[in-house]
Amino acid sequence: MGPLAINELISENTNLFLAFIIGIGFGFVLEQSGFSSSRKLAGVFYGYDAVVLKVFFTAAITTMLGLLFFSLFGWIDLSLIYINPTYLTSAIVGGIIMGAGFIMGGYCPGTSFCGASIGKIDALVFIGGLFIGVFIFGIGYDLWEGMYLANFLGSPKVSKTLGLTDGVFAFFLILIALSMFWVAEWAEKKFKREEY
Amino acid sequence: MKPRTLLALFIIPLGLIIAAVPQNKTNPYKLSPEELLGELNSRTQFVTPETVADMIIKKDPSLRLIDVRSEDEFEKFSLPGAINIPSSNLLSDVYMEILDQDVKMNVFYSNGTLIANEAWMITRHLGYINNYVLEGGLNYWFEAILNPEKPVSTSPDEEFARYDFCKSAGLALGGGGPVQVTQDQAPASVKPAVKSGARKKKAAGGC
Repeated sequence: MGPLAINELISENTNLFLAFIIGIGFGFVLEQSGFSSSRKLAGVFYGYDAVVLKVFFTAAITTMLGLLFFSLFGWIDLSLIYINPTYLTSAIVGGIIMGAGFIMGGYCPGTSFCGASIGKIDALVFIGGLFIGVFIFGIGYDLWEGMYLANFLGSPKVSKTLGLTDGVFAFFLILIALSMFWVAEWAEKKFKREEY
Repeated sequence: MKPRTLLALFIIPLGLIIAAVPQNKTNPYKLSPEELLGELNSRTQFVTPETVADMIIKKDPSLRLIDVRSEDEFEKFSLPGAINIPSSNLLSDVYMEILDQDVKMNVFYSNGTLIANEAWMITRHLGYINNYVLEGGLNYWFEAILNPEKPVSTSPDEEFARYDFCKSAGLALGGGGPVQVTQDQAPASVKPAVKSGARKKKAAGGC
């Protein structure tokens, strides 16, 4: 049955429309969970607030379980799901740059728009920086093209690399997630801040 | 109860279930029998020998001829530039990249249409696109391109144009005799202008 758009059960435009609706829902939940506060977001790095870790990790395991059960029921063909191709070097370099920007700015790209939508000045400044970064990347593309495209690994799956089935890997990831939540809540108590 | 405990109580059993059940490896993407019948009836998978000859002569880079006959037969005779994928090895991983792509136009051919059409049906069923079948196979290719029959004098002009094209194409592809321009019309050059046919066109009767 699924993916709906690829199997032409819905048109490309309907697909975009559904993405729009889901996007609004996603933004609403982000804002309601407090993701528009840069102090809350930066808290995950200092240990006093682990809501980012908890929300995103819960979202990831929920999606993972949902997809696996859908596949089990024959509702979706997992081989047709788009997996972002892995360019190892740029993933590492990009991860470092983005991580540093996250700590300094207190936002990641998605949450900065979330903050901007309720009028946060720091989020607007962050978005300005984001566009400057995009512009520099585009202008200087020739300089880092080699690094950008280095170590292409295709679209590997962790489960396949480890030689596990998707289901067994999913179970281990759930255990990892739950133990990380436990560590995070312990850290929240240890590095508690009264007001932020 | 803490939210974390509640979450754990809910997702750990789900995780155990998903870890225990066998992975669903069936590929649900299939054309339904009705869809396949529709495609078969519309005959859109066929390309005429004329179109293929035209593309070979023009060295069209998008064309990829795939001979689905056995290796022996392939070595005895094959169309220019064709590659050999015997139908018995069609599903081998080695050929996956060739068959499942959206850049080139793959044209299957066999002696008749049967085996090539089977190959097309299998690839179509897997959801691959851009695979076609040479109409009439090699038998018809010989008849139409390498040894075209002269139309009777009362035939419409298009018949003569087609005949001239096939004659010159046959000559270019190794076969037939010298081109003789038919008397009912006088083209400017000996070789008539080769017209590019629509790729997905319905079978138009060949040469």
